[in-house]
Amino acid sequence: MPEHQSLLLSSSPHVFTNVSVRRLMLNVIIALLPVTVYGISIFGFSAARVVLTSVVSCVLFEIIFRAIIHSKQNFGDLSAVVTGLLLALILPPSTPSWMVAIGALASIVVAKEFFGGLGHNPFNPALIGRAILLMSFPAALTSWHRPPLDALGGASLTDALSTATPLAILKDGGTLMGAAGSLGTDSLPDFYTALFFGNHAGCIGETSILLILIGGVFLIATKTIVCATPVAMLAVTALFSALLGVDPLFSVLSGGVVFGAFFMATDYATTPLTTAGKVLFGAGAAVVLVLIRQFGGYPEGVTYGILMMNAVVPYLNKLREKKYGSIGKGAKK
Amino acid sequence: MSLKTFRGGAHPPGRKDASKNAQIEYFSSPKQVVIHLNQHTGAPNQPLVKVGDSVRRGQKIASSDGKLMIPHHASICGVVRKIEPRPQSNLLDGVAIVIEADGGTETEFLPALDVFSCTREEAVARIREAGIVGMGGAGFPAWMKLSPPASKPIGIVIANGAECEPYLTIDYRTCLESPGALVFGMAATLHVLGVKKGVFAVEDNKTDVVPVLEKAVGEFLAGEGSGKGFDISVQLLKTKYPQGGEKMLIEAITGRQVPSGGLPMDVGAVVQNLGTLKAIAEAFREGKPLIDRGFTVTGGACKTPKNLCVPVGTVLSELIPDVIDVRADLARVLYGGPMMGVSVPTLDTPIQKNTSGVVFMTPGEARVFDEGTCIRCGRCMRYCNCRLSPALMNEALLSEDYAAADAIGLLDCIECGTCSYVCPARVRLVQRFRVGKMKLRAMKAAEQARVKARAEAQAAAEAASAAVASPASPASKEAK
Repeated sequence: MPEHQSLLLSSSPHVFTNVSVRRLMLNVIIALLPVTVYGISIFGFSAARVVLTSVVSCVLFEIIFRAIIHSKQNFGDLSAVVTGLLLALILPPSTPSWMVAIGALASIVVAKEFFGGLGHNPFNPALIGRAILLMSFPAALTSWHRPPLDALGGASLTDALSTATPLAILKDGGTLMGAAGSLGTDSLPDFYTALFFGNHAGCIGETSILLILIGGVFLIATKTIVCATPVAMLAVTALFSALLGVDPLFSVLSGGVVFGAFFMATDYATTPLTTAGKVLFGAGAAVVLVLIRQFGGYPEGVTYGILMMNAVVPYLNKLREKKYGSIGKGAKK
Repeated sequence: MSLKTFRGGAHPPGRKDASKNAQIEYFSSPKQVVIHLNQHTGAPNQPLVKVGDSVRRGQKIASSDGKLMIPHHASICGVVRKIEPRPQSNLLDGVAIVIEADGGTETEFLPALDVFSCTREEAVARIREAGIVGMGGAGFPAWMKLSPPASKPIGIVIANGAECEPYLTIDYRTCLESPGALVFGMAATLHVLGVKKGVFAVEDNKTDVVPVLEKAVGEFLAGEGSGKGFDISVQLLKTKYPQGGEKMLIEAITGRQVPSGGLPMDVGAVVQNLGTLKAIAEAFREGKPLIDRGFTVTGGACKTPKNLCVPVGTVLSELIPDVIDVRADLARVLYGGPMMGVSVPTLDTPIQKNTSGVVFMTPGEARVFDEGTCIRCGRCMRYCNCRLSPALMNEALLSEDYAAADAIGLLDCIECGTCSYVCPARVRLVQRFRVGKMKLRAMKAAEQARVKARAEAQAAAEAASAAVASPASPASKEAK
């Protein structure tokens, strides 16, 4: 019989699932691939440049910051790649590279690492990055271009290619048909179809609702996220828009609400853990974003809608389900 | 047959194929047995024998007069050599009676007892005297479950054959090989409790036991059990961990939840493990106390996966390599299954009444992960079958906020391991909850003691101030 000098001791359970943090992050990256590839294909080299700059700077900033504070490196969990990708996909394809890098710095260092890194950050890092850029460089962050862009991005674009998004047209007092016209369509069904397939001006990853939905369904199917938040957010966006007299289908299909619902409002660290909390989070973000679109200074409100709800997550987490044994006939209290 | 189940739970790989087709093998002649005084939940036992005494198989050697008492018996004939602390599968290394075999074969069993004609008190006393504990793992005295107070009427007895722990197959084999004894044990339990409805609950990864059990039930009801009005059935459950957890099983079968801090009898249910039912049958039919234990030997580092039945107290190292062969790269040994079992530091650990399996793991199976930070993905919350909030309890315990952890339901955690199993960041949730529960219980006990002491001091001070004219000194001292 072999002599076993040292048997391993551990606390139960002694077996674990294969699903690791890295696997979950990889799932998100896979889910984002269709929109990323599509964004690059319609906006061209400039979009690829933004994506690459954002991802590389996010990873680098994380490595550098963790080296400075002598903390354990954890780029292997791919969370910085996810942040970088998400940030790039909610920026206009013409954003200058140095601006993207500043956004990455804000995302990774200010929004994430200052609070302790993955799992500890109260606000969505990518949205903080975008919000800081939007406040610092409003012109660059709201200049839109019809696809395709030329090789150098915004630098040599002619005015003819520059355009307003459908949401901006409405914000400036335009009509729905006017917005439809900006996409070269002359009927509402054609307009909706164009918005759904996404060959129009907007952020790199936000335009194709179809591909966002494919990514979202993938995340739900792989149990990476649950559908509570996106469903609540999209439903309330439509309902509340209708209540305020805005076309509900247009509200959902335009701007970044679908992208935000599936990829931002489902961020682990910055959204509620409980199901009731998730539903309220989605609903609350929808209410804020519709209010901003309707009455605020910006044509789009997804960023601030989600960031504002991030702030109330600790309270939403109090909406826990009743534990086993506290309901039914036998309950004591 | 419709499948029943509970909410939540996970699907760890079953890995039961290695041993599920191996018939139970009997090994009855260990050179020595190590019988711990305490291998049960309840009052600590005192030895009834001393070093040098000769004992016979079945002789009572340890007992107590405590409330939850359960005696233990010699499982082989021999001589008591030592009474000293020995390694134990709960890692507490309690005092054990070491018996060296003398080759004798005499037995000292109790007389057989007809459960259907004796009084209820006699039947409960028999189950107690036979030293029967719940054989699923916790080791709760079986007779306690059969003596509910009059205020808790029992409506159903559930035989727990879910065997949801990965690797383990002993309950499955017992079903196939001794269905008659199981049905008799069920009927005895029903009779003692004055209940008609009994359900054998098995997961649907062992559908082949259903006809076997149903046939045994039919034969019993046509023969010995005819005219007694028993309603015994077999219910399939979804294969999902922890389907065999008592609370989850009751939820699946009856749709009711055991109240927080309560017992199954609070919702009119009694749950017995299959092994326990077999032991109950033997205690009545043969007068045999619980001295043999069937368990599964398996795992990647076990060359001879099988189901084995040995005298209680047989030391694992004695079975290696003749009965069990183990690979050289053995990394971890578990007593029990991988979800709730205990990893032991030595192969000199004896098989106890509550040992349902021994799993020998290779380094590949026994992967150890560094604990990561919670990423708040919420998987633990979705899988938790007790609907607690593991992520939030973990957060509360990390900040030593015991009140918050208590409010979420820390004391309701059954430590099934589901949350730790599904955690992608490998946060040691169950380990933290286990320690947290101990601390919280200690804090609550201390708080109660403090309140009591204060009340007593106040009463004493009032008595003193009534008697003496200067109340200042005891009162001011108490105020601190």
